[in-house]
Amino acid sequence: MGSVTFDVLTTAAILFVVSTGLMVILGVMKLLNFAHGAFLTTGGYVAYMAGLAGVSPWLSIPLASILGFLFGLVVERIVIRPLYQRPLDAILATWGLGIVISQVFALTFGRGVQFAPSPLSGTVDFLGVEYSAYRLAIAAIAILLAFALIGLLSLTRFGLNARAVIVNEDLARGLGIDSTKVRSLTFGLGAGLACAAGALITPLLSVDPNMGLPWLVNSFMLVLVSGVSFPSLLFASLVLGGTQVLVSTYVSPILGGMTIVVLAALILRLNPKGFSRA
Amino acid sequence: MNDAILSVRDLNSGYGSASVLRNISLDIKKGEILTILGKNGMGKSTLLNTLMGFVSPFSGKVMLNDKDVTDIKPHLMARSGVAHTPQENTLFPDLTVEDNLRLGVTSDRLFQQRISTIETIFPRIIERLKQRAGTLSGGEQKMLLMSRGLVAQPQLMFIDEVSEGLQPAMVDRMAEVLIRARDELGISVLLVEQNLDFALSVANRFMILKLGEFIEQGVVDDRTSAEHLSAHLAI
Repeated sequence: MGSVTFDVLTTAAILFVVSTGLMVILGVMKLLNFAHGAFLTTGGYVAYMAGLAGVSPWLSIPLASILGFLFGLVVERIVIRPLYQRPLDAILATWGLGIVISQVFALTFGRGVQFAPSPLSGTVDFLGVEYSAYRLAIAAIAILLAFALIGLLSLTRFGLNARAVIVNEDLARGLGIDSTKVRSLTFGLGAGLACAAGALITPLLSVDPNMGLPWLVNSFMLVLVSGVSFPSLLFASLVLGGTQVLVSTYVSPILGGMTIVVLAALILRLNPKGFSRA
Repeated sequence: MNDAILSVRDLNSGYGSASVLRNISLDIKKGEILTILGKNGMGKSTLLNTLMGFVSPFSGKVMLNDKDVTDIKPHLMARSGVAHTPQENTLFPDLTVEDNLRLGVTSDRLFQQRISTIETIFPRIIERLKQRAGTLSGGEQKMLLMSRGLVAQPQLMFIDEVSEGLQPAMVDRMAEVLIRARDELGISVLLVEQNLDFALSVANRFMILKLGEFIEQGVVDDRTSAEHLSAHLAI
């Protein structure tokens, strides 16, 4: 097992972590959240600020998720909820919101890149390969996150209500489920996941006002291919992310950068349902 | 103040500018089954959807236990003790039978307390708790639908054409369950039906809806003429 194999696995893990927030919101609210990239950026700046304040880099991740959740609740109440009956306007509103958030960060921190401290540095010997300790940690976190989200949807009352709203919102309302509350919590959860993902990946990269943009594009492609299913999203992240790593490593990094988009378009052309069984 | 659990007065409702219901007034008492009879397109389902809050009325008043619930949000109507079993898209087919039943109550603790009630009424449903609801037969799906309503232990049920597509034996079973729900649990029922024999076998009173208006009503007793009423249901 060489380092390329670990690159494939950890890249898939990063893509999964980055995409979950988008998928949660799309699945329950039928809303394409164009502000997802800006939420990732927000998480990146939380990690940067936490580093400046001397907070442990590990704590910056839950801190970003909590702040993102609260921010998401506010955004849903003020921006999204008045547009429930106008879904296209709601999508445009998230697009505008993303631009506003980016500009606020540009005004506050400037357009230059900033760096957040890494919770883990250096490499470890894992299965005979010297590999980045932090990337391996992200892979472990992705697995835990997948189990946690599947558990949330499968084992909790909130998950049951959310699944009911996904399938048939009117029927769910007729059974006493406050779908407005479910939507609000879902948007908060999606924003919280995106912010946590931003804080998680920032130590690998850097943060700037447009940091989330390329991740937004890849996330969209993965969610389109996987449908509303966490196992399917994991599989899509592995296939598309893995191909991206292989193309970048053995062909060209430039071609690698467009692999996910091209491959997703091809998959959807051949099978409009993508990897989803629905 | 009256002894009606549900009172509707001068209700006018419809979709957009299209008027469907005109000057609807009715009362349902505790432990009473009132059936609304009428052909397709007469406004029966619109009436239930308006009472549940899915459709906003143009005018009129709906009172539940003397509390104004006109144009209430559907989830609040459900939490006020009203169970709605619609005619179409009634179950979550990809969820298990158990999950469909759990959705009938507001908490899992209540579900555990009340599941035994269903065991005595529809034991076949309890045997299939882990099965996906979409894989049940048509009759079993109707049993699940009724079970989900009953597990809520409502004071009032809105039931929309539950007998449709059922074999005669299953229709008889549904009638037994409704009578038991009324007599033993004290549940009031607003039953929308086209199956005249089924409706008259369970109902205390009937009202006939034609083109959005009640044109006839009465008590169901030995003198109720099924032949006369069936004329209103003929195509």
